[in-house]
Amino acid sequence: MRTIKSLPKSARTKAPVLAIYSAEHRRLMGIFHPSRHEEYEELLSSLGAFMEKEILPLSPKIDAGEAKIEGPRKALFEQGMCQIPFPQEYGGLGLPFTVYSNAVELLGTADASIALSVEIHNAVAEGLNRFASEEQKRKYLPSLLTGKALASFTLTEPASGSDAGTMATTAVRKGGEYSINGSKMFITNAGDAELYMVFAKTPVGPSCFLVRAGTPGLSFGGDLKKMGMKGSRTSEVVFSDCRVPEENLVGEEGKGADYAKEVLHGARIIVAALNVGIAQIAYDKSLAYARSRRAFGKPISEFQLTREKIADMKTGISAGRLLYFYASSVKESGVDFSSEASQAKVFATEMSLKVCDAAIQIYGGYGYTSDELHRHWRDARLLTIGEGTSEVLRLLIARREMARSQ
Amino acid sequence: MKIAVCVKHAVDENELKVDPAGNPQFAGAASKMSTFDKNAVEEALRLKSAHSGDVTVLTVGTADAKKTMKEALAMGADKGVLVTADPMSINTGRTAELLAAAVRKAGPFDVVLCSEGSSDIYSGLVPPMVGEMLGLPYVGYAKKIEVAGQSAKVERSLEDSVEVVEAPLPLVVSVVSEINEPRYPTLIQIMQAGKKPMEEIAPDALLPESKPPSPLFVGMKAQAMARKKVVFEGPPEETAKKLVDALGSEGVLPR
Repeated sequence: MRTIKSLPKSARTKAPVLAIYSAEHRRLMGIFHPSRHEEYEELLSSLGAFMEKEILPLSPKIDAGEAKIEGPRKALFEQGMCQIPFPQEYGGLGLPFTVYSNAVELLGTADASIALSVEIHNAVAEGLNRFASEEQKRKYLPSLLTGKALASFTLTEPASGSDAGTMATTAVRKGGEYSINGSKMFITNAGDAELYMVFAKTPVGPSCFLVRAGTPGLSFGGDLKKMGMKGSRTSEVVFSDCRVPEENLVGEEGKGADYAKEVLHGARIIVAALNVGIAQIAYDKSLAYARSRRAFGKPISEFQLTREKIADMKTGISAGRLLYFYASSVKESGVDFSSEASQAKVFATEMSLKVCDAAIQIYGGYGYTSDELHRHWRDARLLTIGEGTSEVLRLLIARREMARSQ
Repeated sequence: MKIAVCVKHAVDENELKVDPAGNPQFAGAASKMSTFDKNAVEEALRLKSAHSGDVTVLTVGTADAKKTMKEALAMGADKGVLVTADPMSINTGRTAELLAAAVRKAGPFDVVLCSEGSSDIYSGLVPPMVGEMLGLPYVGYAKKIEVAGQSAKVERSLEDSVEVVEAPLPLVVSVVSEINEPRYPTLIQIMQAGKKPMEEIAPDALLPESKPPSPLFVGMKAQAMARKKVVFEGPPEETAKKLVDALGSEGVLPR
């Protein structure tokens, strides 16, 4: 006789599960894509369920160095994460950028370092899709979009960051080849990637090249010790007479800085989404903790000063989400979106830090001592720096808006 | 091998709210493919992969059930059959009758798979009823299915034991969740699922309206689980013994 005791666990327990794809995402998609939102919701809901089961539980282990991201990242690629915004003719799904940015938010909630690795990978794919020749697109995009090859974006140098124009890495044309010399710093996916998008100076200005892993003259520094984003590899990439054939030049010589800027505008929307995802999980955890932790005989969620934090955290998350949805939609419309992307990035990255900080405060001593909570702050801390500092992006926003208002 | 899978578009048990009187709020609740039905679909796909053939998914449901059909098609099923009736407003016998008729119409099949019960009502009645109505052998609570030639060896997961049975094809099998780990469809599979054939059949076109004898679902109530909050005080050597004795008398320790 089969009794109620033998019911599968999922049928017996009614504990709330963390649904990283939420009703708020659905409502926003309904607003931004009213005619096809149900189709996009199906995709995001399935992807969110996959992340909840396969990635979210691994995240604390990834932070602790007890699990690698290669396996879950590969599984995510197989699900189609990177195919979302690219044309079908190159193996993409041809879906709106908003669907992709929303997917990255979910991934930021599940594991920020995998989200960072994917974001950088797809920035290279975006660069190829926008500026590469037809031959290059057909050669590289299908394997990048399905994750058969991982990509890395190498722009920042030991002595140049926001002022990328002062880069010291050079590319000299000799016969049918370019010889690249110099080094790039803080490079995500370095050592793991099969394809490197490299920016190097040529006589007419910075140019963009593709360097495959294993090319003689390409080497890597040791892994950099970081406070967060522990799962993604970050190191220096060194080029010593690293020779690539002429056909590895992307677009035109001297246009590299423009290409990098264009790619980074899109990447900033994605970084904003990623940070909303980080803030969301820190908020979810602290809300649950505030309900269960008691002080002076009642849950701390009953105290007004805790409630103030909860209100401000939630308001920040909602605003950040709206900003990146809006920036995505401006990008989709085909007009200049550099200001909107930067607004979303500046706001969401700073908001995320505030939310993670408030979460630590709500957790009190446990927040300061528990990796499980403060890792979100450590992950978020990178992104007011990477992909354009808050300072530089504020200048960009002001410059762009002043030009628009003339 | 031709495989049929009967699935249900059911209320999402994780999002079901309960009112203060303990009544589940079915109206307006989010719904999805019944949790264990995913195991049935997965098993069908594994059988298809091992023996080739095709998988047909069948359900009795409202237009909303198309979402569940689409999910099964995205997982890899080849076609769907939707009998357009609301399972919450017809009795279990009628649901089984309609499913059996739909299986007969879309068949013949070698294996008809169901899950052990739906994740909303969990009566577990439909699979054996479908077997009976089709005049086929029924094997319940399968945790492993091996098909060889014209028969199947099935491991049944029972309360305190595993029973192994052999049955000739065609047969009806209900599976338990431990049988497999359902796959996640990829985004491209989800996008392409809408292009797979999905047939809609009005119930009257299958069988004239009837009310076969069937247990009647009257309602359900959430059970409040009160904690006993027993506190043992004293030195650890004594309290540990008291705790073990108390757990033993509650019957929660192995004897």
